Order: sequence, then structure tokens, then C-alpha cells
Amino acid sequence: MEQVSGEVGAFQVAVRKKARYVNENLCTGCGACAEKCPTMVVDVFNAGLGNRKAIYKYFPQGIPSVFTIDAAACRQLGQGKKCGVCAKVCQAKAVDYDQKDTLIQLEVGAVVIATGYEVFDPSVIPEYGYDRIPNVVTALEFERLLSASGPTAGHLDRPSELALVKEMEEAEKEHKKLQRQVSQLEEKHGKPSSEIVAAFQSGTLPDDADLRNWALLAQDLASLEARLDSMNRRKATASVARKLAFIQCVGSRDFRFNPFCSSYCCMHSVKEAMIAHEHDNGVHSSIFCMDLRAVGRGFEEYKLRGGKQANIRYIRGRVAEITQDEALNPVVWYESTQNRQVVHETFDLVILATACVPSPGAAELARQFQVELDRNGFFKTDPLAPLNTSRPGVFVCGCAQGPMDIPESVAQASSAAARAAEIVAPARQAVG
Amino acid sequence: MSIEEAIKAYQTYYCLDCGVCTGSCPVSRVNPGFSPRLMVEKALLELGEELLQDRELWSCLTCSRCFERCPTHINFPEFMRRIREEATRRGFGPVLAHHGMLQSVMELQTQGIHQKKTQWARESGRIAESGDIFFFVGCMPYFQVIFRDIGVDSLSISRRVIKVLNAAGIEPIVSDDEVCCGHDMLWNGKTEVFLQLARRNVEVIRSSGAKQVVFNCPEGYHLFRNFYPEYLGPLDFEVVHFYDFVERLLAEGRIALGNGGGVYTYHDPCRLGRMARIFDSPRGILAQIPGGEVVEMERNRENALCCGTSGWANCSVGSKQIQVERLKEAKATGAHTLVTACPKCQIHLTCALSNMNLDLKIADLTTLIADGV
Repeated sequence: MEQVSGEVGAFQVAVRKKARYVNENLCTGCGACAEKCPTMVVDVFNAGLGNRKAIYKYFPQGIPSVFTIDAAACRQLGQGKKCGVCAKVCQAKAVDYDQKDTLIQLEVGAVVIATGYEVFDPSVIPEYGYDRIPNVVTALEFERLLSASGPTAGHLDRPSELALVKEMEEAEKEHKKLQRQVSQLEEKHGKPSSEIVAAFQSGTLPDDADLRNWALLAQDLASLEARLDSMNRRKATASVARKLAFIQCVGSRDFRFNPFCSSYCCMHSVKEAMIAHEHDNGVHSSIFCMDLRAVGRGFEEYKLRGGKQANIRYIRGRVAEITQDEALNPVVWYESTQNRQVVHETFDLVILATACVPSPGAAELARQFQVELDRNGFFKTDPLAPLNTSRPGVFVCGCAQGPMDIPESVAQASSAAARAAEIVAPARQAVG
Repeated sequence: MSIEEAIKAYQTYYCLDCGVCTGSCPVSRVNPGFSPRLMVEKALLELGEELLQDRELWSCLTCSRCFERCPTHINFPEFMRRIREEATRRGFGPVLAHHGMLQSVMELQTQGIHQKKTQWARESGRIAESGDIFFFVGCMPYFQVIFRDIGVDSLSISRRVIKVLNAAGIEPIVSDDEVCCGHDMLWNGKTEVFLQLARRNVEVIRSSGAKQVVFNCPEGYHLFRNFYPEYLGPLDFEVVHFYDFVERLLAEGRIALGNGGGVYTYHDPCRLGRMARIFDSPRGILAQIPGGEVVEMERNRENALCCGTSGWANCSVGSKQIQVERLKEAKATGAHTLVTACPKCQIHLTCALSNMNLDLKIADLTTLIADGV
């Protein structure tokens, strides 16, 4: 949104439609372009856990099912190189590198703000170690790990092991290169490397640059082999995550960050623990909370079912800190307030139920629309008219007005549409 | 302040009973009978009388690990201090470490005793009677006498501060009349004694005409910065920590560090780190030592572990356990030297190390700076 003027019944809104470099009327969503695209980009939708191509769909079920080019990453658009592969393979001739942003002028009677929310970044909580302990993930990252279309195809591989696999691939590449160089030298001189290394270490090697280089290469190879060996051992003992800890109220109900309750995290932790258990019956989950807020129809029953059937343990106590042991397992420190005991317990994976916070553009949008925000930074509404902002004709629904779960957001969306229709309908009838 | 007033002042009724404080508390981990959460609960449940008589009241390290994380901002260390004040009024008190020798020295200083504080300073370098910069020495000359036998030479730290300042062309004021900053008295619940000491210090500094007071001891710095103004009103001189001062001197090229060599790990003192929020300048200085490498312990900065005892009170088996744990954590980093920045941390950790078979050195940061200058 670029600009807004007018008043209820007659708003003029200027909206910028960003260029996607693909003609959406022609694109059939077949995916041939992404298959052939040579550029890999970190996939934001998969919470940075996987990769996607520079031409992509934000997520597989996205509507409309049309591809978009990530201009900054694209070789042709962003980096000024010659590529054009996607345009070549597209049978529908939908790729359009010359597409520009378009400014659309809208004449509308009412506006509904449904800009959603942002997930709290837990790296600002030093005691939880999110930015330094690999096996501490956010609920959203865990959601992607659990997803069949996610980076691990739904298997609970731990991020530390995913990193290990990546590291091993690179080490193996390097190993091959070094091995080739060393064996060439061995053939050239007709001597085994061990002899040269021994001579080098005892200082009896003749002063020759080629031999010196050979000795150094052989030493590098040996140390790389040792590293690969230890990585292989680590990989052999690695297993999928079975013992999970869910930590509630990360960044919410916390005066340091957000005083409010994010309302949906209790249920999504129970849900994620249930799905993890469905995927692998060996999964045991512990949910650390001050109180598990199962408010909603059937929620309490769902929570109890989780405890009975899905190996979920509910622990009353907010987690004090997370450390890491030598096997890269997160160690959770907490006071079990029921037993009055300080406990530390090792888990395979820790999942942080991060808070729902206002989206970063909310303040700017509120300024443009001249509507008020509440003290938490969400759009302010009237307690007796929960979809009305402080300006007539501008409505707000879903997490833009505060944390809420999907059913509630959907219900609010319907209501907001109805409130907007109340304004628009008379005018429409007058014209018709 | 009565318990009811302390509850209001520190808004402990916001307590969520979540257990983050107790889960974070180094004392609770070694002494299950101690729980910040339950102490707050007790106060709220009008069991204050029980709290005042509780020996564990004096076990709190006031290290602020709990306050750092409390989701409702309850300043537990301050709450403790107020309850201790009340307990002292009613005649209860801590088990004093070192037979109360240090407390006696502090209380004696309110009686106008004559101290020969400048003699050692004159031997270590050039000092002045008047000028812009006042070096607040603190209790180091006393620690020197008491802790010499465990191998800690506290006064050498003060000597080296003068050496570094001299190297930058600064001749600081060192005064015979300066007294203890009152830190331990404040946390021992003896606010009246603290006030006498504080008033004396402010008077001494004012009459010297100094514009800036440099502290090497984190406790003095924290107290002057945060408690003196609270009790005595705004100060008309600037309060600077030596490490911030050194960082500036280094940046301006007025001093240079010599070769230190080796791997260091830095232990954040609670007064300097969590309370005065100085995390970066000590690390910045360490990183500038040529040939030195700095590695972090797992629990660093805001998460750092306390050195095990505070205010020369309730030093216990638990204190030793905390110290041993910290030393092992330092060793696990691969560092050969644990760098301390507080004379008390140095004393406590050195004491624990003397009973351990651990190949680790403990060095004070000021010493490292001065040895290279």
C-alpha cells in the first residue's frame, strides 16, 4: 500500500503490485522452470532449513499457483549474468524479465486490514541459547521438520545432524581433491607419502618446494581423514529426535518482551507433540508451562488425550535456561514447581513456543491509515465492536488485532467482510 | 522498610510462581532448601516473620541471575536486601565469613581511624594531592593482609592501576581518608553503616575537587553509580570503571598492551556484568592483547555464574560447589587462564582452586593489562 485518502464509503487507495517476472495469466504452475533453475536460495518458508530455486512458489499449496522470480538471487535479473534458462524451458512463455512494478488505483468503500503477525525472534533471550545451540528450534521450524513437504520429508532429523551431513559432503569433496593431488605426487616420485611426511617431520627432507608442498598436502589429507572419521562415528551414533521438550511462553507473558499471552501456542505445542508421536510412536514429549491454556471447544479434551495416548508429560515450571552437553543434546534447567526441585534434564530437541508479535509494517500501515495501535503494537479495536479500528470504514481481523488461532481468525475474516459489506451494499444497490 | 512495604516497592505480587528464579539460582542447585520463588511466596503469604528468621535469607548471592530473567521484573536481589535490613533491625544476621574480620574493618572505618593508604601508592608510582582524576582504591589494602596466605596479592591490582594511569601520563589522586564503599554493609542489612561510609567518601572526593572517579573494583563502581545517588542525591563527579577508561586510552593510543600470549576465558563479575552492564570493555581489552586468544565459557555475559559467595557472609559447602563448577567450566573451554575482574571473584576462585587438582591459572585483568604496558 502506497497511499490512502478519502473517507468511509469513498476511499482512494494506491497499491503497488510488485513485479513477479512471470505473467500470471500464462503460467500454468507446472514447475519446469524451478526444476531447471541453476540458482539455489535459502528457503524462507522452510524456516531456513532447506533450499529452493531462484524461481519459486512461496509454498506448494500457495494460491494462485503461479511462480515468481526472486530478483535479487536470479542470475539474469539480480546478478547481470546471462542465464534465461527458465524462459527457455517455459512452454507457456510466461517468463517476462521486463515486467515492472505496477501502481493500482482502487476506489473502495471500506478497507479490511488483515496483515497478520510476526513470530518473535528468540535469539534475544540469552538463557535459551537459540542462536548458539543447534538443537533448539522454534515451533515454526519444528513444524517444517514435521511436514511431509518439508526439508526432512517429515522425519525428525535434528538440525545438528543436518549440519553434519552438509559438513561431511563438503569434507568428502575436499578429501577427493586432496587424495587425487597426493596420489599424483606419489606416482610422479614413485614413493609413498608416509616416507615424505616422516622425513618432513624429522627435518631431514631435502630443501625442495615440490617435496615440501607434497608433505604439507599429505598432512592435510591425514588430518582431514581423521576429521571425516570422527564425523562418521558421530553420524553412526546419530538418531532421530525422540525425546522432545516444548517450552511455552517464549517472549510472551514476559515483561521484558511482550506482556500479553499469545493464546495459540499452548495448543500448537500439544498438536506438534501429537503429530510427532503419530509419526514415530517412540516419541516422548514434555511440555513446560505455567498453565496450559486449553481454552476452546474440545481443547481440554485434546490436551488430556495427548497425555494419555501420545506420551505427553505436562510439567508446571517455566524453563530457566538451556545448556548443551557434549553430544550436542540440549539440557533443560527448570524448577518443577510441583516437586519444588531444581531439575536438569537432557533432551534430543527443544522446541520454543515463540510469541505472536505485531508485523514489522504495522506501525507504518497504521500511520498511513491514521488508525491507532494498542500498547502492544497491534491494531486497536473497540471492545464493543471488535472489528472496528479507530477510523470509520477501516476494519481489522485476525492476528493484526492480536494473537488468535486459525478458527478465530477465519470467523473474524467473515465478520469483517460482512461489516465492510454493510458500507458498500447500499451504494451498490443505488448504482444497480 | 517492612516486608509489606518491600512487597509493594518491588511489586512482588506480580510473581507468576513460574520457577525461573529458582531454576536459575546457583544456590538452589546445590542447596535444595533455598528457593527464591518460595521466599517471595512466603512474603506474599504473610509468613514474613519466618522469612526474617530464616538462616537461608543470608545465602542469597544477590547475583541477579534471577532478576535478569524474571518475566515480571521482580528485583529479587533488592527485595532480599530490604528484607535483610528488616532482619538486622530485629537482631538477626548472617554467618560471617573470616570470623567477621572484614565487617569489623568496615565498621571501624566509620570511627575516623587514620589510614595510611597513600604510602603503598607512592611506592608504586606517581600520585597527586589534587587534580581531575581520583582513583578510588577500595578495600584492597585490607584484602592484601587477610588473603595473602591463600596466594592472592590484592593490592598488586591497585598498584597496577596506578602504573597504567601513569603510563598514560595521568597522576591520580589517592586519598588517605577514603573509606570502604559500604557495599557489604548494604547487603549485610546494615544500611546505617553504609550511609556513614558513603557520606564520608563523597565528602573526601568533593573536597579533592576531582571531576572523575576511577574504580577498579566492580562493587565500588556499582555502588557509586547506582546506590550513592539513590541515597545521597546526584553526585557532582563522574564515575568511571577502569576498564572503560583503559579501553578509551587504548583507542586514543595513549597506552599499548604487551605480549600476553595464550588462551584466556573471562569470568563476568555479577556487579560489573549483570548489574552495571559492563560486558564488552573487558572482552575488548582481552582481545587486544597481542598473542592472546579469548574463548567463552558456556555461561557468559548475562548468563554468567557467580563466584559463590557475597558480602562475606554464609560461605558454605555450597559456595565451594559453585566455585568448583565454575572452575571446571573454565577449564573445559581449553583456556589456560581464567581472567577475573573483581578482587572478590579472584579470592574466592583462587581459594577453591587451591583444593583442586586442575591445571588452570587465575589472573586479574588489570594485572594482564599492566604487565604489558
